[in-house]
Amino acid sequence: MDYFRPRSVEEAVTLGQSPGAAFLGGGTDLVLQMRQGKVNPQCLIDVHNLAELKEIRRNGDVLELGSMVTFSEVSDSNLLQDSARALWLAGQTMGSPAIRNQATIGGNLGNGSPAADAIPALLALDAEVCLRSQAGEEVISLAVFLERYPLLAPGTLIWKFLVPLRGWQSGFAKLGRRRALAIARLSVAVALKTEGETVMDLRVAFGAVGKRAFLSPALAARFIGRELDVHWRTEMISGSQELVRETLKTRASAPYKAVAVGGVMHQALMLLQE
Amino acid sequence: MNIELRVNEQDFRLVVEPDERLLDVLRNRLGLIGTKEGCGEGECGACTILMDGKAVNSCLVLAAQAVGHELMTIEGVGDRLHPHPLQKSFVELGAVQCGFCTPGMILSAKALLDRNSQPSEEEIKEAMSGNLCRCTGYDKIVKAVQRAAEEVAR
Ligand code: FES
Ligand code: FES
Repeated sequence: MDYFRPRSVEEAVTLGQSPGAAFLGGGTDLVLQMRQGKVNPQCLIDVHNLAELKEIRRNGDVLELGSMVTFSEVSDSNLLQDSARALWLAGQTMGSPAIRNQATIGGNLGNGSPAADAIPALLALDAEVCLRSQAGEEVISLAVFLERYPLLAPGTLIWKFLVPLRGWQSGFAKLGRRRALAIARLSVAVALKTEGETVMDLRVAFGAVGKRAFLSPALAARFIGRELDVHWRTEMISGSQELVRETLKTRASAPYKAVAVGGVMHQALMLLQE
Repeated sequence: MNIELRVNEQDFRLVVEPDERLLDVLRNRLGLIGTKEGCGEGECGACTILMDGKAVNSCLVLAAQAVGHELMTIEGVGDRLHPHPLQKSFVELGAVQCGFCTPGMILSAKALLDRNSQPSEEEIKEAMSGNLCRCTGYDKIVKAVQRAAEEVAR
């Protein structure tokens, strides 16, 4: 096996052409998967410390987040606390402190774990993903990107996330630990725009309900144009329970998750208000 | 492959496999066996060390990834003659029984105290939430961290 630590995104992408290459972030998933024999890369391209991939910055009304930003960096960021609260909350609840110091948001996406906490938050915040490969640069909505199978073509590097800053409120809540049984994991992210008491726009995303995190525009549509009051909340809770029941159908986790999502949704909505 | 690691303020030149975990290199090649392997999958915290002052699980980091970072293991925290306030308070308050979890506990606590010298009980519990102990119950551990914080503040 070969190991490289490129000095630029450019160089990383060139190295990514080598057969059996894998990009290595913090390692919290990949190191374990290699050890368990689930993946056998022939060449590791370690990008965890690449400065270009570690930036958190505001660029006009877009927030740019490098793929190698760690969960600790997410939860330490005042900028994210103020403007991307769902992601900031996901950064705080993910794993243990030691895991958060290593694990990165790009790795979270690239490993395609159904329990990747950053993903529902980024979906609710309407993030785009910037990819880099030998073919050039691609910017794609995260929601659309998540419909790809396989997620990443070989040699494609997750470069950064772009989060639009629209002054929306957002919240995130979850159940379950990192290696808790899949049956006991679940997360919810909500982002909304209000005018007075009226909900003008809304995005709701779920994690660990099915193979990949997803948005539910159908659920959101039922709650737009209405007043954000106690009825709204109660119906949103029961609406998310119906949705999870329908999504999981006869799967073993359905009875549990279809109930539990109510509490998680309740918590995510509580965390909306500061 | 040839690498150079900086551990406890000393530089080491080593030959390692590209997929060799930092935990194994510390224990087997450097003889720093204070760092323990419990679960080997990021759940127990026995292998916790500091990387640039931050707690990480050395079972989930490759040795090659640690190049260019400043590492600290329990051996660098203090010794019998000059124990760190945390090491003293852990012993004095009975927060050590079998001792298997202790190096990881101390390093997680040190990472906390280095950035927050007066943590609340909640903050201590949160900082130690990735470290499991089968022996003590966590009460004494939290108390030991509080006592050490007081001593560091003095
Ligand atoms: S051995 Fe590393 S976390 Fe358990
Ligand atoms: S003292 Fe035995 S595991 Fe903690």
